[in-house]
Amino acid sequence: MLGVARRMLRRSDLAEDAVQDALVLVWRRAGQFDPARGSAKGWLYTILRNRCLTMLRSEEREVTSDAADVDVTPVPEVLASAYGGLDDATGLRQCLDRLDGPTRDAILASYVLGYSHGEIAGRLDSPLGTIKARMRRGLLKLRECLS
Amino acid sequence: MTEYSLEVMIDEVVLGLASDADCAKLDRMAAEDPAVAALLERARLRFAPLDDTAAPQPLPEGFWNRLTDRLDVPDGPAAPAEIVELDDVRARLARWRRATYGAVAATVLLAFLAGWSLLTPTPPLVVTVLLDASGGAVALVESAPDNTTRITLLEQPAVPSGQVMQVWTKPDDAGPPVSLGLLADGTSETLTIRGLTAPTARQLYEITLEPAGGSPTNLPTGPILGVGRANDPVI
Repeated sequence: MLGVARRMLRRSDLAEDAVQDALVLVWRRAGQFDPARGSAKGWLYTILRNRCLTMLRSEEREVTSDAADVDVTPVPEVLASAYGGLDDATGLRQCLDRLDGPTRDAILASYVLGYSHGEIAGRLDSPLGTIKARMRRGLLKLRECLS
Repeated sequence: MTEYSLEVMIDEVVLGLASDADCAKLDRMAAEDPAVAALLERARLRFAPLDDTAAPQPLPEGFWNRLTDRLDVPDGPAAPAEIVELDDVRARLARWRRATYGAVAATVLLAFLAGWSLLTPTPPLVVTVLLDASGGAVALVESAPDNTTRITLLEQPAVPSGQVMQVWTKPDDAGPPVSLGLLADGTSETLTIRGLTAPTARQLYEITLEPAGGSPTNLPTGPILGVGRANDPVI
């Protein structure tokens, strides 16, 4: 859990906060968990990811006092290691392989790093509408490929 | 622009691209419609392998203490779910409760990770994992104070025709085994028995293969499928 949060938030101090927030939420919402609607692990990670996304999107992030907390791994490297970490045998890996590089990276950046459409468009220097349409086409291909 | 269909919305919620309004809308739809909930779960499962590619991080020192400090706050009905008021939590900090909450929090977490539902109506008094001769887990036995015993088979044992699984316990370690009943149709079952003392930790449980109808001597005669001693669950 901490690994997922740290990769997304790129700060180890914030990652601990996110995991703690998520565990407090899990504790409070334990009664809402319905095994018929999905796995417990999925539920746990969804709560964690949502917490990380809220932290990423909010402006409340204070400047860290400790440079050691900051993950300085370049973004392309983070994406490549997430993609490379997928087992070749998984459907997701095989289906991501079939997408063009920029679309694949855009989808990975949103899931792994929590990037918004706007941030991805900014990085690729492309209009927002183009990025949205391209990612939706990519997601459609993934759905078809994985179904 | 491609059409903003339900499936696009679900994907974008899972990836974290959707607006708060769309996330809330999808939450409501999934709560009302199991078909939407199933689509959402399927989309999450599509991307879940990426969660496992993050490098595992050791928990920093003091993590559990900091967490238990935060859990030490009453669960008020009006408490906002998304906002954790740290100052408020710290103000209510009571040191003596830390250890208890820590143990409970760790248990809750482990329970979820193991995929067990926490919604069992009455918590068992003792829990036993029955192992076979090679150390493989055969069954989980949960025993209530009144000796209502739920046996969950963890694998399908090979029961020869004309034989049946019989469940035994030894309420008195020095005394004879007592039959709790038969798993007549070869599947997981809840057995009830009267007249026994409440089960305790270290109590022996076992499943043996007996002739159809159960052991003729009312004592185990056949080979042992699984055996184990009870533990107090941490609840």
